[in-house]
Amino acid sequence: MASMIMASSKTVIPITSSLPSKPRFQQQIPQISLPKIPTPKFLNSPQILSLSSSTLKSISLLTVTSLSFAPPSLAEEIEKAALFDFNLTLPIMMAQFLLLMFALDKIYFTPLGNFMDERDAAIKEKLASVKDTSAEVKELEEQAAAIMRAARAEISAALNKMKKETELEVEEKLAEGRKKVEVELQEALANLEKQKEETIKSLDSQIAALSQEIVKKVLPL
Amino acid sequence: MNGISCSINALNGLYDISGVEVGQHLYWQIGGFQVHAQVLITSWVVIAILLGSAIIAVRNPQTIPTDGQNFFEYVLEFIRDVSKTQIGEEYGPWVPFIGTMFLFIFVSNWSGALLPWKIIQLPHGELAAPTNDINTTVALALLTSVAYFYAGLSKKGLGYFSKYIQPTPILLPINVLEDFTKPLSLSFRLFGNILADELVVVVLVSLVPSVVPIPVMFLGLFTSGIQALIFATLAAAYIGESMEGHH
Repeated sequence: MASMIMASSKTVIPITSSLPSKPRFQQQIPQISLPKIPTPKFLNSPQILSLSSSTLKSISLLTVTSLSFAPPSLAEEIEKAALFDFNLTLPIMMAQFLLLMFALDKIYFTPLGNFMDERDAAIKEKLASVKDTSAEVKELEEQAAAIMRAARAEISAALNKMKKETELEVEEKLAEGRKKVEVELQEALANLEKQKEETIKSLDSQIAALSQEIVKKVLPL
Repeated sequence: MNGISCSINALNGLYDISGVEVGQHLYWQIGGFQVHAQVLITSWVVIAILLGSAIIAVRNPQTIPTDGQNFFEYVLEFIRDVSKTQIGEEYGPWVPFIGTMFLFIFVSNWSGALLPWKIIQLPHGELAAPTNDINTTVALALLTSVAYFYAGLSKKGLGYFSKYIQPTPILLPINVLEDFTKPLSLSFRLFGNILADELVVVVLVSLVPSVVPIPVMFLGLFTSGIQALIFATLAAAYIGESMEGHH
């Protein structure tokens, strides 16, 4: 845009003879457009110090214009800027874009899109199946409860059985003990009776002797 | 006179420093036609970047995505989202068009701002974002026009043209005009933004070489992304508009 303006304003200031008449290309080639340290030549040149104020004014004016327009003196050497230059680039870009679209569709949009859709479907399916397992969990819980019930019944049966067995045993032992005690009691009673009879017998004989003695003592001889 | 010649020397120096090249092209001749070589070269680089990264990231998709795949899935979701909001439920077939439009413009714009193209010296003109050439933007805008005409015609047949006399036939000229203004505004918006962004950066760099241009560069990155999004969104909106039913 600037050079277009440049091109239109080339008559404003005449080209001076002191301009280097190098072709434009040579000026452009060494230029690197990465940030350069600006060392404006007019600051370095000693000439500038001896300039009159009017020249300075004109320089400053020119500098100001040069900030908005490129130097008009160079306009002659610069080819006309072609901003709106339509040519074969346009259809080539169209073709390139369409090719890029098909290529990207083949290697990126379709495969990755399908992959993502499939993954979404798989995740949804898994989620749904996770919700379904609640029935399974219920079934398992019921099974566990049934097993517990069976185990409890078994345990109580075994307990009852054991109780009965021990009761029987205890009764048996009790009966045995009772019998033993009775036998011993009988024996003791029999012994007692015998001793009683013996005592009575011995008492009888003593009674005879005692009564003779009493008779002797009572009846004075 | 001495002063004037000195001042012109000085200006010459300034010009060398700023080195703003606008509208300079490296021309190639192809079968009697001229092409802008710098645009084609940079667009090939952009296409190579797009295809290469897509191939690397998507060649072996994992169920649990890794870094590259994750990023590309995010991009795809974003493109699908844009297409879906603008086009509606039948957005599926248009995802490649909208997506390529967005990715191509986005990578082009950012390549102009991030890749050090200017290290490579051309004999004439300079390498820059492909989107700062009017040919590229007009090509993309015309493709958008073709796309929305195709969308409307394939959806509604010739009944598509009845939209020109809706809601009243008085609006016919305006409706016809719209078909011209749409690609025009699309292409010039993109072209102008990218060119202006690069120019602002170059001019600022030539004036104040350090620090000051950096915010403008970031602004440029932001603008570039926004422009890509605007172009893709508008393309999708035009397609959706031509596909939607009349009230």
